[in-house]
Order: sequence, then C-alpha cells, then structure tokens
Amino acid sequence: MLLGFALSYLALLALCLAMARQHKILLQGAPSIGRQRLLRGLALVGLVLGLLLSIEQLGGEIGAVTWLCLLMLAGLLLVAVLAWRARWVLPLAALLPAAGGLTLLV
Amino acid sequence: MSLRQSMAGLHTWGGLLPSWLLYVIIFAGTLACFDKELERWMRPALHQGVASSMTADQVRDWLEANVSDELHAFWMHGPTSREPFWRLGWEVDKTEEMHNVAFDPASQQPMVETLGGGFFFELHYNLHGGTLGMYIVGLAGMFMLVALVSGVIIHRRIFKDFFTLRPNANGQRAWLDAHNLFGVIGFPFHLVLAYTGVAIFVATYMPAGAQVAYNSNVEQFFSDVMGAYNREGVHKPAAQQASLNELVERSRQHWGGAEPGWISVHHPGDEAGVVDIRRFDSSRIAPPLETLSYDDASGTLLNVQNASAGYRAYTWLAGLHMAQFGGTLVRLMYLLLGFAGCAMLVGGLQVWLAKREARGTAGIGLVRALNGGVFVGLPLASLALLWGNRLIPADLTERATAEGWVFVGSWLLLALWAVLRRNQPRSLLSQQLALGAVLALGLPLVNVLTTSHGGLPSSLLRGDWALAGIDLFLLLCGLLCALCAWRCGQPQQAQEPRARRVLVEEAL
Repeated sequence: MLLGFALSYLALLALCLAMARQHKILLQGAPSIGRQRLLRGLALVGLVLGLLLSIEQLGGEIGAVTWLCLLMLAGLLLVAVLAWRARWVLPLAALLPAAGGLTLLV
Repeated sequence: MSLRQSMAGLHTWGGLLPSWLLYVIIFAGTLACFDKELERWMRPALHQGVASSMTADQVRDWLEANVSDELHAFWMHGPTSREPFWRLGWEVDKTEEMHNVAFDPASQQPMVETLGGGFFFELHYNLHGGTLGMYIVGLAGMFMLVALVSGVIIHRRIFKDFFTLRPNANGQRAWLDAHNLFGVIGFPFHLVLAYTGVAIFVATYMPAGAQVAYNSNVEQFFSDVMGAYNREGVHKPAAQQASLNELVERSRQHWGGAEPGWISVHHPGDEAGVVDIRRFDSSRIAPPLETLSYDDASGTLLNVQNASAGYRAYTWLAGLHMAQFGGTLVRLMYLLLGFAGCAMLVGGLQVWLAKREARGTAGIGLVRALNGGVFVGLPLASLALLWGNRLIPADLTERATAEGWVFVGSWLLLALWAVLRRNQPRSLLSQQLALGAVLALGLPLVNVLTTSHGGLPSSLLRGDWALAGIDLFLLLCGLLCALCAWRCGQPQQAQEPRARRVLVEEAL
C-alpha cells in the first residue's frame, strides 16, 4: 500500500516538475520541451503502475477506489511539502518508494 | 455576462449560504468513518475485548422477558470484529418509535446507555431531524454538487495552479490557493461523495413515480425493487416459534459458510411472522443482496432475495459512500479526504471574508460569528460530547439524552462566545484553539482515570490499535491545536515588518 502511495507521489512529482514554475523551484531553470515530455511520460507510467499495483492487491473494484484515494492524498502531501519544506520534496521521492519496497519485502 | 461570470456569482453565493450546514454534514460524516471504533471507545464494557457468548435466541428471550407490547418488528446484529457485542432494536406496533439495546459481552445484560458513534452518523445524514432533516441535508448536498461544478467552470488556471500553494502570500491569495488546492485535488472524492450521498435517498426526494405506480404503497415498491419478501401481520398468535439459532445455522450453510449480519423479525409471534437473515460481507463495495426469509413459526424458507439490476447499482453507489469495504485503510483515507473537504469549505469562507474585510461589506460580522460558531464550535462540541461520555455517572437514567445535551449545550455556549467576540476573530481563534488543546489532550487522561482497561497504556499493551488509535488521534489533535494557538499569538508582530518593507519600496 505504501508502495502504491509512493508511485502516486512520484507520478505527481513528475507532472509537477514538468511545469516551469515548480521546475525552477526544485531544480535549476526551466525544463526543456524534451524533458517536459519525458517527465509527463514517466508520470503516466507511475499512474498506471500504481493502479495496477492497487488492483493486484485489492481486486479491480476496491483497488481502483483505493488508487484514486491514494493519488489524492499523495497530491495533498506533495503540495504541502512543496509549500512549506520545498527541500524535502526530492528526498521524499527516494524515501517513499524505498520504504514501500521494504514493506513489500517484509 | 459570460458563462464564467455568471457561474462565479453562483459559486460565491450558492457556496457561501449552505457552507456551514455542509461543514456540519461533512465533519460528522468524516467522524462517522470510525463510528464503530468510537462506539467501542464510548462503551467501557467493551474495552477489554471479551468475546460475546450470547446467541440469537438468548437475545430474543431477553426481549420477550422485558418487552410485553405487541411488536411490529425487532432486529439484531451479532458480534463482529469492529462491534464485538450483540445489538437489538425493536419497534412497538402502531408507533414509529425505535428502541435500542446493546448487550455487555461479559454479563449478557444491557450496557450503560450512550449515544455512541451512531450519533455522528445520524447527524451526518439527517441532523437528528428525521425526514425534514434528511431533506435539508439532501438540499445541501445538491448545493454542493452545484458549487463543485461551477467551481470547475470559474477556475481559470485549474491545471497551471494544480500544485500551487503560497502560504506566505497576502491573505486572500493564500486562502484562494488553499481553497482551490483542496477542491481540485480532492475533486473526485468530493464529487463522488456528494453525488452518492444525494443518490442514497433519491426515492425520498423524488417519490412521485413510485407513489403513482404503486398507489402510494411505497413499502410495496421497495420490496419489489429489492426482491425481498413482505407480508402483512394477521394478529393471530402462532402456536410455535422457530429457533433463530437454527435459522442462522441454516443460512450459514446456504451461503457456504458466510456469516449472517442483520437478523430481523417482522410481526414476531404472529402467524404471519417473517424472519429475514442478511448476509454480512465487507469484501465488496456493494453489500451482498442475499437475504433469506423464513416463516417465523415453522422455519420454512419462504424466499431468497433476488434484487433487480437497478437496485444492485443503487447499493453499489450507496456502498461507495458508506465505506464499509476495504477495512481500516479505506476508512482512514475517507477520513483524511473528508477533512480535506472541511478544509475546502473553511478556505472558501476565508476567501469571501478576505475579499470583503477591506471594503467593510455588510454581513461580515454575521459570517465571522458563524465561522467561529460552526467551524470551530462543532469540533469542540464533539470533544465535549466525549468528555460527557466519560464523566456522566453510569447509573443516570436517560444517560444518552444527557450526553446529547452536553453536546448541544456546549455548542450553544461556543456559538454565543463566537457571536460576542466576532469582531476580534484572531484572538477568539487563538483562545478557541487553546480550549481545543485542553479538551483534546485531557481526554486520554480522563480515559486512563475513569476506565480500567481503556487507557492508552493498557490498550497499547494489548495491541488494541482500534481503541488506542482514538486516544492517539486525540493527542495529535490536541498538540496541533496547542501549536496553532501558540502560532496564532505570534504572527501579529511578524506581519508588521513586511508591511513596512512594502511602504519603503513604494517610497523608492
């Protein structure tokens, strides 16, 4: 479940970095067109993987609902961190999937 | 006037007017995600988690020994992991009054009365106002749908500002960001919950079709749609009565081992009595529609429920709203997203205020008083209700009513306070937050002092997370309130230098 949350967070982060304003805050300068496309593509991959993971864990019916809820909550977390602690956004992007992967192994 | 402009007016006023009502509905519904856990917290007899050894027949025996009126129906629900006790309800014939009892698993006698978590559930769907309340809530839900759709239309930068929150910008900008953020990111949740919430009582809001087709016999309409069994009482006492335990066992076999949930008996003791046994299954979004109906006297199987496709779609929508599927995880997510909905309303109201405070528009005092009285008053009154639950003596008659009065009385006092201090919103808020911190931080302490097995040390030691979770949540809320109350006292000075800097820049 944590891994699903991490995937949603990563996907939203990629969408967020594809925007000039957020890219300037988190990394230097505005993103090039190619990088924007790459980030949006990665976001799509993250979204689909998150959905598939949720469905695999909880079945199509409940999995789809939990995926959407996780996505919304990941969005709220991302924006809150971005607003108050922008420096933590990128470390979280490594920490969350790592923690998610650990819970999968345990 | 363009579409966007006309929608802006609709969003502002159609959102403002029902917003306090919507806040009550959303906040109560959010708490009701954990109604059963809250109920267990409010009933000290359940804290230790003793398994109930009562059977359905014993519950019926208690009813027959203690209630002598002729009953229209009674219903009972056996212990589950979230509700480890038997509950019983009944309706005396020709009255509309419902009576409820919950049995102590250890002594098999009725437990000390309490409003329980069901209080918030009922507040959520009818404001404790019966059918009229239900209509009011439905109307508020329709307003919410209108506000959501018009909000999307008027939001010019819905994708550009998707991730934007600028807490350090000036008041109106920051609150508008917050309002947009909670509204846009939580949009699927708000839309689905508002829609399904309205849809649950659709037959009550639009009764004309059923009234005409069924000659005003709405019960017949429901039993047709649900594929359920229904027959009138004949007021002739039956010679014998089937054993409920046996019917439960037969139902279990019929379903291949699945557990029964609600057991209800219509016209008990009558020749035409019917026992309905519903299946309990929270592994799907829609509750299972596999009710078995038996003859109360002989125990013959009369009917296996065969619901129409339309009704199955309806229960799926209702199930999506009620969040009885997917366990604690789904309830926790609904809880957090529900709070996001509350935050959206608060943010919207702050935008309205910030925009008009400078202009001194009429009605600002009223809006501030309502904000203070509802947005802060309701959570504080809910905390007061939990205090009442722990402090009202157990042997008081009508104890649940007394709890209700604690809630209503404290809310009225808080509202009065908010009205009197409406012109100092900042200091009012910091004092309200301080009170909230005291109330929330005090509850786990009172819990340790007044119960023998419910306190945080013993529940954590047992690994009883459902019970400990409520205390931990209260501690967290209390600490957050204390932090905010402390911060609320500070920024007055912090804002001054910024204002001066602007002046300097203007002078240059």
